[in-house]
Amino acid sequence: MTYELLQAVDVGAVASSVNFTWILVVTFLIFFMHAGFAMLEAGQVRSKNVANQLTKNLLTWSVGVVVFFLIGAGVSSLVGGGSFSWVPNSSPGSWASSWLYGAVFAMTAATIVSGAVAGRAKLRAYVAYTFLLAAVIYPVVTGLTWAGGHISFGGAVFQDFAGGMIVHGMGGIAGLTAAKVLGPRMGRYNEDGSANVIPGHSMTFAVLGTLILAFGWYGFNVGTAAIFNTDASGAITSFNGAVVGRVALTTTLAMAMGAIGAGSVAWARTGKVDTLYVANGLLAGLVGITAIPNASTWWGALAVGLLAGAQLPFVFEFVEKTLKIDDVCAVFPVHGSAGVLGTLAFPFVAESSRYSALVGDASMVSSFIAQLAGVVIIGAWTIAATALVWYGFKMVGQARVTPEHEQEGLDVSEHGVETYPEFGGGESVVADGGSPANFSEVNNDD
Amino acid sequence: MTDEDEEREIKMIVAMVRPDKLGDVKQSLAEVGAPSLTVTNVSGRGSQPAKKGQWRGEEYVVDLHQKVKIETVVADIPANDVVEAIKEGAHTGEPGDGKIFVIDVEDAVQVRTGERGPDAV
Repeated sequence: MTYELLQAVDVGAVASSVNFTWILVVTFLIFFMHAGFAMLEAGQVRSKNVANQLTKNLLTWSVGVVVFFLIGAGVSSLVGGGSFSWVPNSSPGSWASSWLYGAVFAMTAATIVSGAVAGRAKLRAYVAYTFLLAAVIYPVVTGLTWAGGHISFGGAVFQDFAGGMIVHGMGGIAGLTAAKVLGPRMGRYNEDGSANVIPGHSMTFAVLGTLILAFGWYGFNVGTAAIFNTDASGAITSFNGAVVGRVALTTTLAMAMGAIGAGSVAWARTGKVDTLYVANGLLAGLVGITAIPNASTWWGALAVGLLAGAQLPFVFEFVEKTLKIDDVCAVFPVHGSAGVLGTLAFPFVAESSRYSALVGDASMVSSFIAQLAGVVIIGAWTIAATALVWYGFKMVGQARVTPEHEQEGLDVSEHGVETYPEFGGGESVVADGGSPANFSEVNNDD
Repeated sequence: MTDEDEEREIKMIVAMVRPDKLGDVKQSLAEVGAPSLTVTNVSGRGSQPAKKGQWRGEEYVVDLHQKVKIETVVADIPANDVVEAIKEGAHTGEPGDGKIFVIDVEDAVQVRTGERGPDAV
Protein backbone atom coordinates (compact mmCIF):
# COMPACT_ATOMS: atom_id res chain seq x y z
CA MET A 1 0.00 0.00 0.00
CA THR A 2 1.37 3.41 -0.91
CA TYR A 3 1.75 6.19 1.54
CA GLU A 4 -0.98 8.20 -0.22
CA LEU A 5 -3.46 5.34 0.19
CA LEU A 6 -2.67 4.98 3.85
CA GLN A 7 -3.26 8.68 4.31
CA ALA A 8 -6.60 8.35 2.57
CA VAL A 9 -7.86 5.82 5.16
CA ASP A 10 -10.09 7.55 7.67
CA VAL A 11 -9.21 5.96 11.01
CA GLY A 12 -12.42 7.20 12.60
CA ALA A 13 -14.52 5.54 9.90
CA VAL A 14 -12.68 2.24 10.33
CA ALA A 15 -13.17 2.33 14.10
CA SER A 16 -16.88 3.15 13.71
CA SER A 17 -17.23 0.26 11.28
CA VAL A 18 -15.60 -2.10 13.78
CA ASN A 19 -18.01 -0.98 16.50
CA PHE A 20 -20.96 -1.24 14.09
CA THR A 21 -19.98 -4.75 12.97
CA TRP A 22 -19.45 -5.84 16.57
CA ILE A 23 -22.92 -4.62 17.54
CA LEU A 24 -24.49 -6.57 14.68
CA VAL A 25 -22.60 -9.76 15.56
CA VAL A 26 -23.70 -9.63 19.20
CA THR A 27 -27.24 -8.70 18.15
CA PHE A 28 -27.44 -11.94 16.17
CA LEU A 29 -26.03 -13.85 19.17
CA ILE A 30 -28.67 -12.33 21.44
CA PHE A 31 -31.38 -13.16 18.90
CA PHE A 32 -30.23 -16.79 19.08
CA MET A 33 -31.16 -16.79 22.78
CA HIS A 34 -34.75 -17.28 21.60
CA ALA A 35 -33.72 -20.76 20.46
CA GLY A 36 -32.40 -21.30 23.97
CA PHE A 37 -35.56 -20.06 25.67
CA ALA A 38 -37.71 -22.19 23.35
CA MET A 39 -35.78 -25.38 24.16
CA LEU A 40 -35.41 -24.59 27.88
CA GLU A 41 -39.13 -24.00 28.30
CA ALA A 42 -40.23 -26.83 26.00
CA GLY A 43 -38.17 -29.26 28.08
CA GLN A 44 -39.68 -28.08 31.37
CA VAL A 45 -43.33 -28.48 30.33
CA ARG A 46 -45.33 -31.68 29.81
CA SER A 47 -45.47 -33.25 26.36
CA LYS A 48 -49.08 -32.09 25.89
CA ASN A 49 -48.07 -28.41 26.14
CA VAL A 50 -44.85 -28.32 24.11
CA ALA A 51 -46.23 -26.87 20.86
CA ASN A 52 -48.05 -24.18 22.86
CA GLN A 53 -44.81 -23.19 24.56
CA LEU A 54 -42.93 -23.10 21.25
CA THR A 55 -45.68 -21.02 19.62
CA LYS A 56 -45.54 -18.52 22.48
CA ASN A 57 -41.79 -18.19 22.01
CA LEU A 58 -42.16 -17.66 18.25
CA LEU A 59 -44.92 -15.09 18.71
CA THR A 60 -43.08 -13.24 21.49
CA TRP A 61 -40.40 -12.35 18.99
CA SER A 62 -42.69 -11.82 16.02
CA VAL A 63 -45.37 -9.70 17.68
CA GLY A 64 -42.99 -8.04 20.14
CA VAL A 65 -40.44 -6.83 17.63
CA VAL A 66 -43.06 -5.18 15.39
CA VAL A 67 -44.63 -3.45 18.39
CA PHE A 68 -41.21 -2.36 19.66
CA PHE A 69 -40.51 -0.88 16.20
CA LEU A 70 -43.79 1.03 15.91
CA ILE A 71 -44.31 2.05 19.55
CA GLY A 72 -41.87 0.70 22.16
CA ALA A 73 -38.62 2.36 21.06
CA GLY A 74 -40.37 5.73 20.83
CA VAL A 75 -41.87 5.36 24.30
CA SER A 76 -38.41 4.60 25.67
CA SER A 77 -36.98 7.84 24.25
CA LEU A 78 -40.01 9.78 25.49
CA VAL A 79 -39.67 8.47 29.06
CA GLY A 80 -35.92 9.03 28.81
CA GLY A 81 -36.58 12.76 28.61
CA GLY A 82 -36.63 13.35 24.88
CA SER A 83 -39.53 13.36 22.48
CA PHE A 84 -41.30 10.31 21.03
CA SER A 85 -38.74 9.53 18.34
CA TRP A 86 -40.45 7.32 15.80
CA VAL A 87 -37.99 4.70 14.51
CA PRO A 88 -38.93 5.04 10.79
CA ASN A 89 -37.87 8.71 11.00
CA SER A 90 -34.40 7.98 12.41
CA SER A 91 -31.31 7.41 10.25
CA PRO A 92 -31.08 3.95 8.61
CA GLY A 93 -27.72 3.26 10.24
CA SER A 94 -29.32 3.55 13.66
CA TRP A 95 -31.93 0.97 12.68
CA ALA A 96 -29.24 -1.66 13.14
CA SER A 97 -26.91 -0.20 15.77
CA SER A 98 -29.60 1.32 17.96
CA TRP A 99 -33.07 -0.04 17.24
CA LEU A 100 -32.41 -3.71 16.45
CA TYR A 101 -29.75 -3.87 19.18
CA GLY A 102 -32.32 -2.54 21.67
CA ALA A 103 -35.04 -4.80 20.29
CA VAL A 104 -33.18 -8.04 21.02
CA PHE A 105 -32.81 -6.99 24.65
CA ALA A 106 -36.49 -6.04 24.85
CA MET A 107 -37.59 -9.37 23.43
CA THR A 108 -35.43 -11.24 25.93
CA ALA A 109 -37.36 -9.53 28.74
CA ALA A 110 -40.65 -10.40 27.06
CA THR A 111 -39.97 -14.08 26.47
CA ILE A 112 -39.05 -14.81 30.10
CA VAL A 113 -42.71 -14.45 31.13
CA SER A 114 -43.90 -17.37 28.98
CA GLY A 115 -41.99 -19.84 31.16
CA ALA A 116 -43.89 -18.78 34.29
CA VAL A 117 -47.39 -18.97 32.82
CA ALA A 118 -46.85 -22.26 30.94
CA GLY A 119 -49.57 -24.87 30.66
CA ARG A 120 -52.62 -22.68 31.43
CA ALA A 121 -52.45 -19.14 30.00
CA LYS A 122 -54.61 -18.48 26.99
CA LEU A 123 -52.58 -17.76 23.87
CA ARG A 124 -54.48 -14.54 23.12
CA ALA A 125 -53.90 -13.29 26.68
CA TYR A 126 -50.19 -14.03 26.47
CA VAL A 127 -49.83 -12.33 23.07
CA ALA A 128 -51.80 -9.30 24.27
CA TYR A 129 -49.53 -9.07 27.32
CA THR A 130 -46.46 -9.30 25.06
CA PHE A 131 -47.88 -6.40 23.02
CA LEU A 132 -48.19 -4.24 26.15
CA LEU A 133 -44.79 -5.28 27.47
CA ALA A 134 -43.05 -4.35 24.21
CA ALA A 135 -45.07 -1.13 23.80
CA VAL A 136 -45.06 0.28 27.33
CA ILE A 137 -43.94 -1.83 30.30
CA TYR A 138 -40.34 -2.50 29.20
CA PRO A 139 -39.79 0.84 27.37
CA VAL A 140 -40.72 2.73 30.56
CA VAL A 141 -38.02 0.77 32.43
CA THR A 142 -35.32 1.49 29.83
CA GLY A 143 -36.49 5.10 29.57
CA LEU A 144 -35.96 5.57 33.31
CA THR A 145 -32.54 3.91 33.23
CA TRP A 146 -30.44 3.46 30.07
CA ALA A 147 -32.10 6.24 28.06
CA GLY A 148 -32.70 8.81 30.78
CA GLY A 149 -30.50 7.90 33.73
CA HIS A 150 -33.29 9.24 35.95
CA ILE A 151 -32.57 6.99 38.95
CA SER A 152 -29.72 8.25 41.12
CA PHE A 153 -28.80 9.05 44.71
CA GLY A 154 -26.02 11.19 46.15
CA GLY A 155 -24.26 11.51 42.79
CA ALA A 156 -24.42 7.78 42.04
CA VAL A 157 -26.49 6.85 38.99
CA PHE A 158 -28.25 3.46 39.03
CA GLN A 159 -25.87 0.95 37.41
CA ASP A 160 -27.12 -1.90 35.26
CA PHE A 161 -24.65 -2.68 32.51
CA ALA A 162 -26.42 -5.27 30.33
CA GLY A 163 -29.82 -5.60 31.98
CA GLY A 164 -29.47 -7.78 35.09
CA MET A 165 -32.39 -5.84 36.58
CA ILE A 166 -33.71 -3.95 33.55
CA VAL A 167 -34.14 -7.08 31.40
CA HIS A 168 -33.89 -10.19 33.60
CA GLY A 169 -35.09 -8.83 36.94
CA MET A 170 -37.99 -7.18 35.18
CA GLY A 171 -38.84 -10.37 33.22
CA GLY A 172 -38.60 -12.60 36.29
CA ILE A 173 -40.77 -10.32 38.42
CA ALA A 174 -43.30 -9.97 35.59
CA GLY A 175 -43.42 -13.77 35.24
CA LEU A 176 -43.99 -14.27 38.97
CA THR A 177 -46.77 -11.66 38.99
CA ALA A 178 -48.53 -13.14 35.96
CA ALA A 179 -48.27 -16.68 37.41
CA LYS A 180 -49.74 -15.43 40.70
CA VAL A 181 -52.75 -13.83 39.00
CA LEU A 182 -53.35 -16.86 36.77
CA GLY A 183 -53.25 -19.36 39.63
CA PRO A 184 -51.49 -22.74 39.61
CA ARG A 185 -51.90 -25.50 37.03
CA MET A 186 -54.56 -28.08 37.86
CA GLY A 187 -53.20 -30.68 40.26
CA ARG A 188 -50.18 -28.58 41.29
CA TYR A 189 -51.51 -28.14 44.84
CA ASN A 190 -53.64 -30.41 47.00
CA GLU A 191 -56.59 -29.13 49.00
CA ASP A 192 -54.46 -28.93 52.15
CA GLY A 193 -52.05 -26.65 50.27
CA SER A 194 -49.25 -29.19 49.87
CA ALA A 195 -47.51 -29.14 46.50
CA ASN A 196 -47.30 -31.90 43.90
CA VAL A 197 -44.36 -32.19 41.54
CA ILE A 198 -45.23 -31.96 37.84
CA PRO A 199 -42.11 -33.09 36.00
CA GLY A 200 -41.31 -31.65 32.59
CA HIS A 201 -41.03 -33.92 29.60
CA SER A 202 -37.41 -33.55 28.48
CA MET A 203 -34.30 -32.90 30.55
CA THR A 204 -32.33 -33.06 27.30
CA PHE A 205 -34.14 -30.08 25.77
CA ALA A 206 -33.89 -28.14 29.04
CA VAL A 207 -30.11 -28.55 29.14
CA LEU A 208 -29.69 -27.85 25.41
CA GLY A 209 -31.71 -24.65 25.88
CA THR A 210 -29.56 -23.69 28.87
CA LEU A 211 -26.33 -23.96 26.90
CA ILE A 212 -27.74 -22.15 23.85
CA LEU A 213 -28.79 -19.35 26.21
CA ALA A 214 -25.32 -19.26 27.77
CA PHE A 215 -23.78 -18.97 24.28
CA GLY A 216 -26.09 -16.09 23.39
CA TRP A 217 -25.32 -14.49 26.75
CA TYR A 218 -21.77 -13.73 25.62
CA GLY A 219 -23.42 -11.40 23.11
CA PHE A 220 -25.72 -10.04 25.79
CA ASN A 221 -22.94 -9.10 28.24
CA VAL A 222 -19.70 -8.81 26.28
CA GLY A 223 -21.55 -7.18 23.40
CA THR A 224 -22.75 -4.38 25.65
CA ALA A 225 -19.11 -3.24 25.78
CA ALA A 226 -18.02 -1.42 22.62
CA ILE A 227 -14.68 -2.20 20.96
CA PHE A 228 -13.66 1.47 20.75
CA ASN A 229 -14.66 4.23 23.14
CA THR A 230 -16.04 7.37 21.55
CA ASP A 231 -16.59 10.87 22.90
CA ALA A 232 -19.82 12.83 22.69
CA SER A 233 -19.13 13.88 19.09
CA GLY A 234 -18.57 10.25 18.05
CA ALA A 235 -14.79 10.60 17.67
CA ILE A 236 -12.72 7.60 18.73
CA THR A 237 -10.90 8.15 22.01
CA SER A 238 -9.44 4.74 22.92
CA PHE A 239 -9.55 0.97 22.51
CA ASN A 240 -11.97 -0.52 25.08
CA GLY A 241 -10.17 -3.84 25.52
CA ALA A 242 -9.83 -3.56 29.29
CA VAL A 243 -13.60 -3.41 29.77
CA VAL A 244 -14.34 -6.04 27.09
CA GLY A 245 -11.87 -8.40 28.74
CA ARG A 246 -13.32 -7.81 32.20
CA VAL A 247 -16.86 -8.50 30.97
CA ALA A 248 -15.79 -11.70 29.20
CA LEU A 249 -14.04 -13.01 32.32
CA THR A 250 -16.66 -12.08 34.90
CA THR A 251 -19.48 -13.44 32.73
CA THR A 252 -17.72 -16.79 32.39
CA LEU A 253 -16.81 -17.10 36.08
CA ALA A 254 -20.28 -16.20 37.33
CA MET A 255 -21.90 -18.66 34.93
CA ALA A 256 -19.69 -21.47 36.19
CA MET A 257 -20.17 -20.59 39.87
CA GLY A 258 -23.94 -20.39 39.43
CA ALA A 259 -24.05 -24.02 38.29
CA ILE A 260 -21.71 -25.05 41.12
CA GLY A 261 -23.71 -23.07 43.71
CA ALA A 262 -27.13 -24.47 42.80
CA GLY A 263 -25.79 -28.01 42.35
CA SER A 264 -24.04 -27.90 45.73
CA VAL A 265 -27.09 -26.63 47.62
CA ALA A 266 -29.28 -29.27 45.97
CA TRP A 267 -26.71 -31.92 46.87
CA ALA A 268 -26.51 -30.75 50.50
CA ARG A 269 -30.30 -30.73 50.85
CA THR A 270 -31.30 -33.95 49.06
CA GLY A 271 -28.09 -35.94 48.75
CA LYS A 272 -28.33 -35.78 44.96
CA VAL A 273 -26.89 -33.36 42.41
CA ASP A 274 -30.08 -32.35 40.64
CA THR A 275 -29.50 -31.86 36.90
CA LEU A 276 -32.16 -29.21 36.44
CA TYR A 277 -30.82 -27.20 39.39
CA VAL A 278 -27.32 -27.29 37.90
CA ALA A 279 -28.77 -26.05 34.58
CA ASN A 280 -30.99 -23.40 36.20
CA GLY A 281 -28.07 -22.38 38.42
CA LEU A 282 -25.81 -21.78 35.43
CA LEU A 283 -28.39 -19.31 34.11
CA ALA A 284 -28.87 -17.72 37.55
CA GLY A 285 -25.10 -17.13 37.70
CA LEU A 286 -25.28 -15.38 34.33
CA VAL A 287 -28.26 -13.29 35.42
CA GLY A 288 -26.45 -12.38 38.65
CA ILE A 289 -23.43 -10.88 36.86
CA THR A 290 -25.37 -9.22 34.02
CA ALA A 291 -25.86 -5.91 35.87
CA ILE A 292 -22.17 -5.58 36.82
CA PRO A 293 -19.78 -7.50 34.50
CA ASN A 294 -18.03 -4.24 33.49
CA ALA A 295 -17.31 -3.31 37.11
CA SER A 296 -16.89 -6.50 39.10
CA THR A 297 -13.56 -7.82 40.32
CA TRP A 298 -12.72 -11.43 39.44
CA TRP A 299 -13.48 -12.53 43.00
CA GLY A 300 -16.70 -10.53 42.92
CA ALA A 301 -17.81 -12.51 39.87
CA LEU A 302 -17.05 -15.78 41.66
CA ALA A 303 -19.00 -14.65 44.75
CA VAL A 304 -21.99 -13.21 42.89
CA GLY A 305 -22.24 -16.30 40.67
CA LEU A 306 -22.05 -18.63 43.67
CA LEU A 307 -24.72 -16.71 45.60
CA ALA A 308 -26.98 -16.42 42.55
CA GLY A 309 -26.82 -20.19 42.13
CA ALA A 310 -27.08 -21.01 45.84
CA GLN A 311 -30.19 -18.85 46.40
CA LEU A 312 -32.04 -20.74 43.66
CA PRO A 313 -33.29 -23.81 45.57
CA PHE A 314 -34.31 -21.67 48.56
CA VAL A 315 -36.15 -19.02 46.56
CA PHE A 316 -37.84 -21.65 44.37
CA GLU A 317 -39.07 -23.45 47.49
CA PHE A 318 -40.27 -20.16 48.99
CA VAL A 319 -42.23 -19.31 45.82
CA GLU A 320 -43.67 -22.81 45.62
CA LYS A 321 -44.44 -23.63 49.26
CA THR A 322 -44.98 -20.24 50.91
CA LEU A 323 -46.26 -17.95 48.17
CA LYS A 324 -48.00 -20.94 46.50
CA ILE A 325 -47.22 -19.56 43.07
CA ASP A 326 -46.82 -22.09 40.25
CA ASP A 327 -43.75 -20.68 38.48
CA VAL A 328 -43.39 -23.55 35.99
CA CYS A 329 -39.89 -22.82 34.65
CA ALA A 330 -38.54 -21.19 37.86
CA VAL A 331 -38.24 -17.83 36.10
CA PHE A 332 -38.36 -15.82 39.34
CA PRO A 333 -35.47 -17.59 41.10
CA VAL A 334 -33.44 -17.68 37.87
CA HIS A 335 -34.10 -14.22 36.41
CA GLY A 336 -35.80 -12.22 39.19
CA SER A 337 -34.04 -12.79 42.50
CA ALA A 338 -30.66 -13.47 40.86
CA GLY A 339 -30.94 -10.20 38.90
CA VAL A 340 -31.81 -8.24 42.06
CA LEU A 341 -28.90 -9.83 43.93
CA GLY A 342 -26.32 -8.93 41.28
CA THR A 343 -27.65 -5.38 40.91
CA LEU A 344 -27.45 -4.73 44.66
CA ALA A 345 -23.94 -6.23 44.82
CA PHE A 346 -22.49 -3.45 42.62
CA PRO A 347 -20.86 -1.24 45.31
CA PHE A 348 -19.44 -4.23 47.19
CA VAL A 349 -17.71 -6.05 44.34
CA ALA A 350 -16.80 -3.21 41.95
CA GLU A 351 -13.09 -2.79 41.29
CA SER A 352 -12.11 0.65 42.65
CA SER A 353 -11.02 2.31 39.38
CA ARG A 354 -14.12 0.95 37.62
CA TYR A 355 -16.26 2.14 40.52
CA SER A 356 -15.01 5.72 40.21
CA ALA A 357 -15.28 5.60 36.41
CA LEU A 358 -18.95 4.65 36.73
CA VAL A 359 -20.25 6.56 39.79
CA GLY A 360 -17.47 9.08 40.43
CA ASP A 361 -16.94 10.17 44.03
CA ALA A 362 -20.25 8.85 45.31
CA SER A 363 -19.98 6.86 48.54
CA MET A 364 -20.71 3.15 48.71
CA VAL A 365 -23.83 3.90 50.74
CA SER A 366 -25.11 6.36 48.11
CA SER A 367 -24.38 3.88 45.35
CA PHE A 368 -26.15 1.09 47.23
CA ILE A 369 -29.19 3.32 47.77
CA ALA A 370 -29.21 4.16 44.05
CA GLN A 371 -29.07 0.44 43.21
CA LEU A 372 -31.83 -0.31 45.73
CA ALA A 373 -33.95 2.53 44.36
CA GLY A 374 -33.58 1.13 40.84
CA VAL A 375 -34.62 -2.35 42.00
CA VAL A 376 -37.62 -1.03 43.94
CA ILE A 377 -38.83 1.31 41.18
CA ILE A 378 -38.44 -1.27 38.39
CA GLY A 379 -39.95 -3.99 40.57
CA ALA A 380 -42.94 -1.92 41.67
CA TRP A 381 -43.71 -0.68 38.16
CA THR A 382 -43.42 -4.21 36.73
CA ILE A 383 -45.66 -5.76 39.40
CA ALA A 384 -48.28 -3.02 39.12
CA ALA A 385 -48.45 -2.99 35.32
CA THR A 386 -48.36 -6.78 34.97
CA ALA A 387 -50.97 -7.38 37.68
CA LEU A 388 -53.26 -4.76 36.15
CA VAL A 389 -53.08 -6.38 32.71
CA TRP A 390 -53.57 -9.97 33.89
CA TYR A 391 -56.35 -9.10 36.39
CA GLY A 392 -58.03 -7.31 33.48
CA PHE A 393 -57.84 -10.46 31.34
CA LYS A 394 -59.08 -12.52 34.29
CA MET A 395 -62.10 -10.28 34.88
CA VAL A 396 -63.26 -10.75 31.29
CA GLY A 397 -62.53 -14.48 31.48
CA GLN A 398 -59.70 -14.40 28.93
CA ALA A 399 -56.67 -15.15 31.11
CA ARG A 400 -56.87 -18.92 31.39
CA VAL A 401 -57.99 -21.83 29.24
CA THR A 402 -60.95 -23.93 30.41
CA PRO A 403 -60.26 -26.86 32.77
CA GLU A 404 -61.19 -29.28 29.95
CA HIS A 405 -58.64 -27.72 27.61
CA GLU A 406 -56.00 -27.64 30.31
CA GLN A 407 -56.58 -31.34 30.99
CA GLU A 408 -56.40 -32.18 27.32
CA GLY A 409 -53.27 -30.10 26.84
CA LEU A 410 -52.84 -26.74 25.14
CA ASP A 411 -51.27 -28.26 22.01
CA VAL A 412 -54.57 -29.76 20.90
CA SER A 413 -56.97 -27.23 22.46
CA GLU A 414 -55.17 -24.01 21.45
CA HIS A 415 -53.33 -25.08 18.29
CA GLY A 416 -54.92 -28.31 17.04
CA VAL A 417 -51.55 -30.04 16.86
CA GLU A 418 -49.80 -32.83 18.68
CA THR A 419 -46.08 -32.38 19.31
CA TYR A 420 -45.51 -36.11 19.41
CA PRO A 421 -48.22 -37.72 17.23
CA GLU A 422 -48.31 -41.48 17.66
CA PHE A 423 -50.81 -42.71 15.11
CA GLY A 424 -52.43 -41.00 12.20
CA GLY A 425 -53.20 -41.01 8.52
CA GLY A 426 -56.17 -42.30 6.59
CA GLU A 427 -59.85 -41.64 7.08
CA SER A 428 -60.93 -41.31 10.68
CA VAL A 429 -63.39 -43.94 11.79
CA VAL A 430 -65.88 -43.40 14.59
CA ALA A 431 -65.54 -46.04 17.28
CA ASP A 432 -68.37 -47.20 19.54
CA GLY A 433 -69.42 -44.31 21.73
CA GLY A 434 -67.08 -41.90 19.97
CA SER A 435 -67.82 -38.86 17.89
CA PRO A 436 -66.13 -37.58 14.75
CA ALA A 437 -63.03 -35.42 15.24
CA ASN A 438 -64.11 -31.80 14.89
CA PHE A 439 -61.25 -29.37 15.09
CA SER A 440 -63.42 -26.27 14.72
CA GLU A 441 -65.25 -27.40 17.83
CA VAL A 442 -62.04 -28.20 19.68
CA ASN A 443 -60.58 -24.79 18.86
CA ASN A 444 -63.63 -22.82 19.84
CA ASP A 445 -62.88 -22.03 23.46
CA ASP A 446 -65.45 -19.29 23.97
CA MET B 1 -58.05 -78.32 9.45
CA THR B 2 -56.79 -81.89 9.56
CA ASP B 3 -56.86 -84.10 12.65
CA GLU B 4 -53.11 -83.78 12.82
CA ASP B 5 -53.42 -79.98 12.97
CA GLU B 6 -55.80 -80.20 15.89
CA GLU B 7 -53.19 -82.02 17.92
CA ARG B 8 -50.68 -79.26 17.20
CA GLU B 9 -51.74 -76.61 19.69
CA ILE B 10 -50.96 -72.92 19.19
CA LYS B 11 -49.81 -71.17 22.36
CA MET B 12 -49.03 -67.56 23.05
CA ILE B 13 -46.42 -66.78 25.67
CA VAL B 14 -46.67 -63.25 27.09
CA ALA B 15 -43.89 -62.06 29.37
CA MET B 16 -43.21 -58.78 31.17
CA VAL B 17 -39.47 -58.46 31.85
CA ARG B 18 -36.81 -55.89 32.72
CA PRO B 19 -35.89 -53.74 29.68
CA ASP B 20 -32.19 -54.39 30.25
CA LYS B 21 -32.75 -58.18 30.11
CA LEU B 22 -34.36 -58.05 26.66
CA GLY B 23 -31.08 -58.88 24.91
CA ASP B 24 -30.58 -62.02 27.05
CA VAL B 25 -34.19 -63.11 26.46
CA LYS B 26 -33.84 -62.70 22.68
CA GLN B 27 -30.68 -64.80 22.80
CA SER B 28 -32.22 -67.63 24.84
CA LEU B 29 -35.38 -67.64 22.69
CA ALA B 30 -33.24 -68.04 19.57
CA GLU B 31 -31.44 -70.93 21.25
CA VAL B 32 -34.71 -72.90 21.71
CA GLY B 33 -35.73 -72.22 18.11
CA ALA B 34 -38.34 -69.53 18.78
CA PRO B 35 -36.68 -66.32 17.57
CA SER B 36 -39.88 -64.55 16.37
CA LEU B 37 -41.33 -62.11 18.86
CA THR B 38 -43.15 -58.81 19.36
CA VAL B 39 -41.85 -56.31 21.93
CA THR B 40 -43.73 -53.39 23.50
CA ASN B 41 -42.60 -50.81 26.05
CA VAL B 42 -44.98 -50.99 29.00
CA SER B 43 -45.26 -49.68 32.56
CA GLY B 44 -46.52 -51.84 35.38
CA ARG B 45 -46.74 -52.52 39.07
CA GLY B 46 -46.01 -55.76 40.89
CA SER B 47 -43.74 -56.85 43.69
CA GLN B 48 -40.99 -54.33 42.85
CA PRO B 49 -40.99 -51.55 45.47
CA ALA B 50 -41.86 -47.98 44.40
CA LYS B 51 -38.93 -45.71 43.66
CA LYS B 52 -38.40 -41.98 43.97
CA GLY B 53 -38.24 -39.70 40.98
CA GLN B 54 -36.81 -36.19 41.23
CA TRP B 55 -37.60 -32.93 39.42
CA ARG B 56 -35.80 -29.73 40.37
CA GLY B 57 -34.73 -31.22 43.69
CA GLU B 58 -38.18 -32.43 44.70
CA GLU B 59 -39.00 -36.09 45.01
CA TYR B 60 -42.12 -37.84 43.77
CA VAL B 61 -43.19 -41.49 43.88
CA VAL B 62 -42.86 -43.68 40.79
CA ASP B 63 -44.77 -46.93 41.42
CA LEU B 64 -45.19 -47.96 37.78
CA HIS B 65 -41.93 -49.42 36.54
CA GLN B 66 -40.69 -49.49 32.96
CA LYS B 67 -40.87 -53.02 31.56
CA VAL B 68 -40.93 -54.61 28.13
CA LYS B 69 -43.74 -56.95 27.14
CA ILE B 70 -42.65 -59.85 24.94
CA GLU B 71 -45.24 -61.76 22.96
CA THR B 72 -44.31 -64.92 21.14
CA VAL B 73 -46.57 -67.51 19.53
CA VAL B 74 -45.49 -71.11 18.98
CA ALA B 75 -47.04 -74.24 17.48
CA ASP B 76 -44.37 -76.88 17.11
CA ILE B 77 -42.00 -75.81 19.85
CA PRO B 78 -43.26 -76.74 23.33
CA ALA B 79 -44.53 -73.67 25.19
CA ASN B 80 -42.65 -74.90 28.21
CA ASP B 81 -39.32 -74.55 26.37
CA VAL B 82 -40.18 -70.94 25.54
CA VAL B 83 -41.19 -70.25 29.14
CA GLU B 84 -37.94 -71.74 30.42
CA ALA B 85 -35.94 -69.72 27.89
CA ILE B 86 -37.57 -66.44 28.93
CA LYS B 87 -37.24 -67.29 32.62
CA GLU B 88 -33.56 -68.04 32.19
CA GLY B 89 -32.88 -64.90 30.14
CA ALA B 90 -34.83 -62.51 32.37
CA HIS B 91 -33.77 -63.80 35.79
CA THR B 92 -31.85 -61.61 38.23
CA GLY B 93 -33.35 -62.89 41.51
CA GLU B 94 -34.53 -59.43 42.61
CA PRO B 95 -38.20 -58.31 42.89
CA GLY B 96 -39.24 -56.87 39.54
CA ASP B 97 -37.96 -59.64 37.27
CA GLY B 98 -41.42 -59.96 35.78
CA LYS B 99 -44.12 -62.53 34.93
CA ILE B 100 -44.74 -65.04 32.16
CA PHE B 101 -48.20 -66.16 31.00
CA VAL B 102 -49.15 -68.96 28.62
CA ILE B 103 -52.40 -68.56 26.68
CA ASP B 104 -54.23 -70.91 24.29
CA VAL B 105 -54.59 -69.45 20.82
CA GLU B 106 -57.63 -70.47 18.80
CA ASP B 107 -56.28 -69.90 15.31
CA ALA B 108 -53.60 -68.11 13.33
CA VAL B 109 -53.46 -66.55 9.86
CA GLN B 110 -50.38 -65.56 7.90
CA VAL B 111 -51.28 -62.28 6.21
CA ARG B 112 -48.94 -62.76 3.21
CA THR B 113 -50.02 -66.27 2.18
CA GLY B 114 -53.45 -66.55 3.77
CA GLU B 115 -52.35 -69.83 5.35
CA ARG B 116 -54.25 -70.77 8.52
CA GLY B 117 -53.66 -72.87 11.61
CA PRO B 118 -50.36 -74.04 13.10
CA ASP B 119 -48.54 -73.75 9.76
CA ALA B 120 -49.26 -70.02 9.77
CA VAL B 121 -47.26 -69.67 12.97
